[in-house]
Amino acid sequence: MTRQTEEALAAAFRDEWPRLIGATLRIVGDLQTAEDVAQETLLAALDRWPLLGVPDRPGAWLMTACRNRARNLVRDAGRAQQKSASLRPLLPLPVPAAPDAETPEIADDRLRLIAMCCHPVLPTDGQVALTLRMVAGLTTQEIARGFHLPPAAIAQRIVRAKRALKQHRVAFATDDPDVAGRLASIIDVIYLVFNEGYLPTAGDTLTRGDLAFEARRLACLLTELTGAEPGPWALRALVSFQLSRWSTRAGPDGELRTLDAQDRALWDRELIADGARALDRARAADRARREGDGDGRGARGPLLVQAELAACHATAPTFAATDWRGIVALYDELLEAQDTPVVALNRAVAVAMADGPAAGLALLNRLVEDPALRGSHRVWAVRADLHQRAGDSAAALADYDRALELVSNLAERRYLMTKKKGQDNAIRRAHRHR
Amino acid sequence: MSEFLLVGTWPSAPAELPLAVAAHAVIARAAWHAWLRRWGLLRSFGLPADPGGEPRACLVVRASGDEAARRLAAGWGRVSGYRVTVLPLFEGPQQ
Repeated sequence: MTRQTEEALAAAFRDEWPRLIGATLRIVGDLQTAEDVAQETLLAALDRWPLLGVPDRPGAWLMTACRNRARNLVRDAGRAQQKSASLRPLLPLPVPAAPDAETPEIADDRLRLIAMCCHPVLPTDGQVALTLRMVAGLTTQEIARGFHLPPAAIAQRIVRAKRALKQHRVAFATDDPDVAGRLASIIDVIYLVFNEGYLPTAGDTLTRGDLAFEARRLACLLTELTGAEPGPWALRALVSFQLSRWSTRAGPDGELRTLDAQDRALWDRELIADGARALDRARAADRARREGDGDGRGARGPLLVQAELAACHATAPTFAATDWRGIVALYDELLEAQDTPVVALNRAVAVAMADGPAAGLALLNRLVEDPALRGSHRVWAVRADLHQRAGDSAAALADYDRALELVSNLAERRYLMTKKKGQDNAIRRAHRHR
Repeated sequence: MSEFLLVGTWPSAPAELPLAVAAHAVIARAAWHAWLRRWGLLRSFGLPADPGGEPRACLVVRASGDEAARRLAAGWGRVSGYRVTVLPLFEGPQQ
């Protein structure tokens, strides 16, 4: 058997995991038990398949085995209760819910599971950890590695989240998940996972592929399950466009490569094509939503505008040929919907690209006073770059120093050190020539 | 050649199994069993009706002696993660 077979099997396990949890949860009603049953089923497959051969439909095998085990558990629990009831007839005992899992709606189960993991009673970090464990099938260790946290911390988040769901009596089969109402927080959770994978806030690497690609898989799953909603399609488009640059964002030694230094021939065309298709779906769904809301003139969703921005970069033939004025216009639109300092910072960069560094610096000089940005290395790194392009090496050097004081990601730190060294050398050369 | 029963149990079942690791383990174990079959060393195997039980799988293998059986058991343990117990079943003529 080949590496391809192994990858296909791993993909089948990943695809099946949320279905198994969902189907089992429907029978046993408890998230911890459902997880245990799914895990035991996986172990049973591990015992049996190497000797009996991998079934033609591994997913169907896993589902049948999982349901049987869950039903046995419920039946055994029922028998135990009957036994103890016959011994102590005066003690009132709760009657276990009858298993109702002959033909559950699988797709609906996965969506219910995502909605359950993103339940509003849970804090965001609990939602993220639970979604990655229950929907993506990542182990506590894998999640901890992704977030550079001790496994015990992630385990605690998962345990607390499960306990909170239990305390609030969030039942899988009967709880109306109000998916539409929770879609925004589901998208937030997936986007958070993506961002942490794409540009980690800490650690010694630039990117953590597992998390970023896992987020895309979740986004794809969400588009499959929610169909006509614009948000999931916009999210899928955004992460697909961003991930298309994955292999070119870092050099051989892990050093950061900015957009202008990346080899566009190496960008993943399939992901760009998927992003473009998803963007088309998002545009159409957004248009339909706005037309449904009124005359269709309302603002586009911020995620859709971000996807449009990502598309501008992903489809530009060269860095120089990027439509910077179009990008500035999109940032203007984004600012209308999401007036945040980070959006304003990105807009200033686009303005600098369209109208020159002086125009960008005029905006940045105001932005560095913003309390939300002063503590971030990015605003200083951007201003340093613009000073450098404007020929003011001393000002660039000072801003690189500020950025270096604040940056925590080691790959970004190395990048800033290299840039600073370049400025140091430029200043020394200038002194020598005087 | 003699026959031995190898009984595989989990020393402690993993609470969480990474899905990629599970896929890798299926392929690696299948390859090891195929190797055993190719050399005519696998006579039979047994799997418990209840997959949640302690014994996970049993193999009836042919080996030239105790030492060879122990080596097969060690190989199976390495590839499966099981703790493997060796029981002699049928002793063939000494070679």
